[in-house]
Amino acid sequence: MDKSNRRWRHLAILCLSILVCQTGYSTASAQSSDFGMLYELGAEKKLSRKWNLGVETELRTRNNTRTLDRWSMGISAEYKIIKGLKASAGYTFLYDNNEEELSLKSDNVRANKWKPSYWGTRHRFNVSLGGNIDWGRLNISLRERWQYTYRPEMADKKYDIDEMTWSATKSKHKHLLRSRLQLSYDFPHWKFDPFANVELFNGWAIEKMRCNVGVDYKYHKQHVFSLYYRFQKVYEKGDENNHNTHFVGLSYKFKF
Amino acid sequence: MKRKFIYIVTMCLFVCSCVNDDSYTMDDFRNTISIVYQGTSVQVSGDVKGLISVNGAHVTVNGSNNTTANLEITLSGSTTDGSLLVYNLRSYTLVLNGVNITNANGPAINNQCGKALYLICSNGTTNTLTDGATYAQAPTNSTGEVIDQKGTLFSEGQIFFRGTGQLTVNGNGKNGIASDDYIIIENGNINVNVSSTGSNGIKVNDGFTINAGTLNIDVSAKGARGIKNDATTTIAGGTMTIKTSGDCLIETNDGIADTTACAGIKSDSLFVMTAGTLDITSTGDGAKGINCSADIEVKGGRMTVTTTGTKDYSKPHGLKADGNVVFSGGEIYVCSARKAISTDSSFLINGGTVMAIGKKESEVSVNSTQNYSTYDDDDEIDAIGGESLSLDGVTYTIPSVFTCRDAFVIVSNSSM
Repeated sequence: MDKSNRRWRHLAILCLSILVCQTGYSTASAQSSDFGMLYELGAEKKLSRKWNLGVETELRTRNNTRTLDRWSMGISAEYKIIKGLKASAGYTFLYDNNEEELSLKSDNVRANKWKPSYWGTRHRFNVSLGGNIDWGRLNISLRERWQYTYRPEMADKKYDIDEMTWSATKSKHKHLLRSRLQLSYDFPHWKFDPFANVELFNGWAIEKMRCNVGVDYKYHKQHVFSLYYRFQKVYEKGDENNHNTHFVGLSYKFKF
Repeated sequence: MKRKFIYIVTMCLFVCSCVNDDSYTMDDFRNTISIVYQGTSVQVSGDVKGLISVNGAHVTVNGSNNTTANLEITLSGSTTDGSLLVYNLRSYTLVLNGVNITNANGPAINNQCGKALYLICSNGTTNTLTDGATYAQAPTNSTGEVIDQKGTLFSEGQIFFRGTGQLTVNGNGKNGIASDDYIIIENGNINVNVSSTGSNGIKVNDGFTINAGTLNIDVSAKGARGIKNDATTTIAGGTMTIKTSGDCLIETNDGIADTTACAGIKSDSLFVMTAGTLDITSTGDGAKGINCSADIEVKGGRMTVTTTGTKDYSKPHGLKADGNVVFSGGEIYVCSARKAISTDSSFLINGGTVMAIGKKESEVSVNSTQNYSTYDDDDEIDAIGGESLSLDGVTYTIPSVFTCRDAFVIVSNSSM
């Protein structure tokens, strides 16, 4: 079997495994937390020794992968201040499938307002500062990111059960500080680089924690494939993903 | 082949992710009761909370407690001696799904709920409501007060007309449709016929709006109005045809005679038209097209008004306003047996296409911003029923019921 055939076979096996995994989770019931998939596609261009430009799109599922949860597209620019210290800024357009919500009256029995799931847009801006140091083949990095998200008002999305009227969901602004600590290891003569990180989402209090464990696979320096597992724990109800979720993520990035 | 396999697997991944994960639907929030009229009896289903009481084919819904949110009542069948009386604290939906109710002693439907009534005429159905010439003594509510019964279809609260089915309301004793709140027609195919023993076509206290649908009103009682509205009248779409044929109603109270003239629309506050079509024909003595206690504003749509009555007790003006009459858009054609436009204030032509024909002269305010022409009796313009009249690029076919020789005419359009 030549190299090309072997690559296709490996890719087909990988896709099939994901489908089986997804179908398995879809049929599973009584899950205390949710499961979803993440698909990411990106490209990065080195403009100069100090500047990098990137674009990225992402698709996310929820409800044990049965429901499309989010689609996003973003652009970012990164500036290398000194060796081991980078600053970056970016914008992301988010198209969310907002989850259904039902609020109860004070007696906790009668339904008050119902918001069926709906697709809506959000705009997200971020500014980051990140530092990293090498300790032998181990790389330790810390990234601090300020994130601002704006959700415009959406008409006729909230149903008042008593009045039988639809009303708009109000526009919302949110500021968050995201802090991520990551460890990665570069094995000699091996194209797989494992990594692990933990990220805290802080909006006056810790709202969410995200842990990733995965592996990067570099092919011909230009192609980077990643496969990772993510666990997201929610401490405080926010705009999205209000329950603990396990994800399996797949990403591909092309470097110009 | 390998690529195809990858594409298929990828497609499968997406297809697997296309399920809605909502736990509820609109049906989960409805409290649905079905009432089928069967001559002198009814068949009720879905009344899990025991809200319904029945006497022959006279049905009372008692939802006067806080747990009856989202009530939906569906009516079907036919009766010649039946009714529906609803007490409810919350807004609810009434679906007319092919029902024919005649109540010789009162309203066919009496809604005592002060909140919104969503009246839906199911698509493809024909529904008829008829009252009698005299009403029996009204019942009392839970607080001992005698309830109102002001028409064949009466509501204490707002009425929102929806659905594309047909509704015919026959008024023989009082108004055809009456609301002590406001009425909004969002859709429907509504016919209101009020006989000489009845009163107005639609009587409403707090405002009337039509956004879409068809509304035909035919009233023949003395002093009756197609629509009598104590607040703002808004024509924002739809197709309306109103005919009144009654003469003036003269009532004597304490030795003083009080005269009430018919009108297609009587509005006690602003009348505004922005879209749709409105056709009014009033043929009785002193019967007006539109009689407004405030301003009349026409910004769009097509309005045709014809009055043909005598002036024995009142003057049959086309448009009469206690405030200003302002035309700023749309098409306005008026044929009047008296003045086409009568106002106690200003008559401004600032836009639109206008042909106003009257037996008497109407005066346009000099500060109008659109050019216009006026013709008086010396110009010998004859407006003959069924014939087309063209002046200054404006053409209108005179309604067959109207003829006026040596008419006073005002013509205006944007190209003058």
